[in-house]
Amino acid sequence: MKPTRLLILLFSVVALALPQIAAAQNNRAASSDDDPDRDINLSQPDFTLVALPTTLRVPRFRSAFRVTHRFTRPLGQGDFGDLAGDLFGIDSGAAIGLEYRFGLMRGLQVGIHRTNDRTIELFTHYSLLQQGTKGPVGLDGIASIEGTNNMGLSGPDSTHSYTPVLGVAVSRELGKYGAVYVEPMWVNNSNPLPSEIADDNDTFMTGIGLRLRVRPSVYVVGEYTPRAGYKPGVNQGSFAIEKRLGGHVFQMNFSNGFGTTLGQVARGGTSNDDWYLGFNISRKFY
Amino acid sequence: MHIRFMVLAAAAVAAVAVAGCDEKLSDLTGPTPSLQPTFSSIQHEIFDTTDPSGRLACINCHTNAGGRIPPAGLNLASGASYTSLVGASSTEKPGLMRVNPGDPENSYIIHKLEGRAGIIGVRMPRGNGPFLTEGQMLVIKRWIELGAKND
Repeated sequence: MKPTRLLILLFSVVALALPQIAAAQNNRAASSDDDPDRDINLSQPDFTLVALPTTLRVPRFRSAFRVTHRFTRPLGQGDFGDLAGDLFGIDSGAAIGLEYRFGLMRGLQVGIHRTNDRTIELFTHYSLLQQGTKGPVGLDGIASIEGTNNMGLSGPDSTHSYTPVLGVAVSRELGKYGAVYVEPMWVNNSNPLPSEIADDNDTFMTGIGLRLRVRPSVYVVGEYTPRAGYKPGVNQGSFAIEKRLGGHVFQMNFSNGFGTTLGQVARGGTSNDDWYLGFNISRKFY
Repeated sequence: MHIRFMVLAAAAVAAVAVAGCDEKLSDLTGPTPSLQPTFSSIQHEIFDTTDPSGRLACINCHTNAGGRIPPAGLNLASGASYTSLVGASSTEKPGLMRVNPGDPENSYIIHKLEGRAGIIGVRMPRGNGPFLTEGQMLVIKRWIELGAKND
């Protein structure tokens, strides 16, 4: 069994073996204990939109896990019969990511995201401002670094490339009905080629996103990431529908690319004519 | 507030510390790790030198040394190569320049080195390889993109 599949299996077993946590979360519902970060935030139910981050805080010493999955078959390939025959892309290969994040202190989270192209992303978010308490918007500072080829841990001869990211996520919650986001970010060394033979080595991108609560626990989500500097392919865009269920969020999404890390988003989608089915499943352990 | 500033500063410092990450060109250019997108480097590493992969130096054939007539009239010996290449029409495909400054896709040398469809004769270097690696080709294309200067 491939290591990635084994990891998915292990994490799935852990997630499914802890139903009491979900029950506890349901029982707690909107009542807070001593940490308001543990309350359900109806306008921001998850830590990401589709690929872009939100400003939802991880409670101190609590954590969350996420699986990202993008089927690699373009939905527009062939006719509807072909598509149905491939069960809407499910028969194809997939770009898969596993993510774990942890609240180190109030407002500070760290995490790791690993995709099956052997990219590892380490990230941290710090909540600089929370809407309502100190300002009209939520503001997170974001720093991450990702490395291809397991960040070079595969061996001394493995070639790898590092991509650091600095940025902020600004959110404006719309009551209990969702939130809008603007996320300017600088992505260094997004170009995998040496700078001697590249016009641009960095990407400046501004993610824009929206999550709308259309039913008590159902949301529609959209995001788009215009870029400047190094910008191969097309700007990645996604839309999704998702259902919150206890500590889980199940999301079905459609994207024009496979990027789930910030560096991958900076490298863009494949084509505006090719859209791919995917899903995210996230689980909060609190 | 101090903690916030410290955390933010630490994150920024960490990110800036790793900023400037860049791949090494030498990792890309394989058997010619010193190859740079400059004419003098290409002359030395590609035209003049047989590399460790066994790819033959161009001047094994393309030279007028000893009174030889260079194939296709292309003399790649040092001192003569630049004028033979840059802005010079190809004898095999007169509609194309051997090196069209700023335009690698319309430079016949690229077509010949990559063995593209439509070339006259065989892919270079002659002899069914080893040919230039993808990384070496990227460097040559970059030199052309930058204006094919005599640098």
